[in-house]
Amino acid sequence: MLSVISYPVFVFSVILSLVLSISLFPVAWLEFRPEWLGLVVFYWTFRAPAQFGILMAWCLGLLLDVLEAAPLGVNALAMAVVAFLVLTVHQRLRMYPMPQQCLMVFLLLGINQMLVHFIKQTLGGEDAGFSYLWPALISAFIWPPFCIVMDNLNRKLG
Amino acid sequence: MALAGGRAIKTIFVQGPVPGFRLLLVIILSTALIVADARFDKLAPVRSYIATALAPVHWLGNAPYEFSGWVASLFTTRDDLLEENEALRARLLILERRALKYAALASENNELRRLMNSSEVLDDRVIVAEVVGVSPDPFSHEVIINKGSRDGVSVGQAILDANGLLGQVQQTSSFTSRVLLVSDSSHAVPVEVVRNGLRAILLGNGDIDSLELVHVPDTADIRKDDLLVSSGLGGRFPKGYPVAKVSRITKEPGEPFVEIEATPMASLNRSRLVLVVFPPEEQAGESAPAGPEATDGPAPDQQEGR
Repeated sequence: MLSVISYPVFVFSVILSLVLSISLFPVAWLEFRPEWLGLVVFYWTFRAPAQFGILMAWCLGLLLDVLEAAPLGVNALAMAVVAFLVLTVHQRLRMYPMPQQCLMVFLLLGINQMLVHFIKQTLGGEDAGFSYLWPALISAFIWPPFCIVMDNLNRKLG
Repeated sequence: MALAGGRAIKTIFVQGPVPGFRLLLVIILSTALIVADARFDKLAPVRSYIATALAPVHWLGNAPYEFSGWVASLFTTRDDLLEENEALRARLLILERRALKYAALASENNELRRLMNSSEVLDDRVIVAEVVGVSPDPFSHEVIINKGSRDGVSVGQAILDANGLLGQVQQTSSFTSRVLLVSDSSHAVPVEVVRNGLRAILLGNGDIDSLELVHVPDTADIRKDDLLVSSGLGGRFPKGYPVAKVSRITKEPGEPFVEIEATPMASLNRSRLVLVVFPPEEQAGESAPAGPEATDGPAPDQQEGR
């Protein structure tokens, strides 16, 4: 848990993650893009579980639904589940060394992606095999630098 | 002291209502939303409002591209500009000559149509739009253009690029619209072969440079390199725009239908500038009450925009 939380940093990180999730990534590699918004939700519920929780994650997921043109509520539900799982494990998570945290990021965002694809397929989407887990894996690799940058920003501006 | 300590601990471990209860609430809410949106299409206005609010995100996402274009334009030399100007002028001349010829043909065509008592209007009104983003979902083929309901764009309009049909508008907000490309696996266009008017349905299959022509009987007269144009049946796409070219025909003995692959004419993943086609007003007014297919909501939807 951080001693100080900067709300401007929160807003900035949300906007940046939304922008990054629709652009600035080679179209041919879209399959491998990190799940930016998932990382943001993970970070803020992990670092400030008292201030940011399930409802915040749900609202952010709703925004992602509109950006991705997914049925409204799909990503919202998946993000809320991530927030819930982070809330239940955040005390243990804080004790974990970095590699283990990365593993948790992979697991939770993998659950997120799995939920999204499960619902989309139930509604008649395309079956993509297990390739939908790439974003979770890439996000796990991005987690350490992401976490350090966000912590520093919070400390400087909070 | 003990009180303060207790409070500090409280803020760590207690979070107001139990998270499990909130999760349940959110799950119920999301399920309701998903069902309402995906099965009953009740949430289009809500989505449109949120999309309008998110327009700045699209602008920001497009900003690096525009910025690089601006920087590049700062460093263009005068000679380059002159050269480009020259080339454009030459191109304009060629196109103007073609337009002259086209005008003569169009008037002749109109005359013939008048003689045949057919009242079809030939010219469609278009506006130019720019692609400002692609869908972040790698399993759907969608792009976002910078014209929205404020510019008169509405759901179902056809989108072209310089070479052919690109897709159709699927969803609009005030400033942007979402375009479903012809290659999306949920998209289908009614087409006809230009050579002999043979009609068929062209399906997208999730592959950006190949489409699938379905339900063509084994004996149909169709060849490689045949041009497929939109047939205008179903009332969604205007008639006569090139859609694809037949690239491969596989005949399986014993199968009732031929397997036909076609390459889209439009450069689906390269076009930056696109045209939004407005159907001519008279025609729209006429066809709406005319055919049962046109008024019969879900049927054409399923056929073309599933």
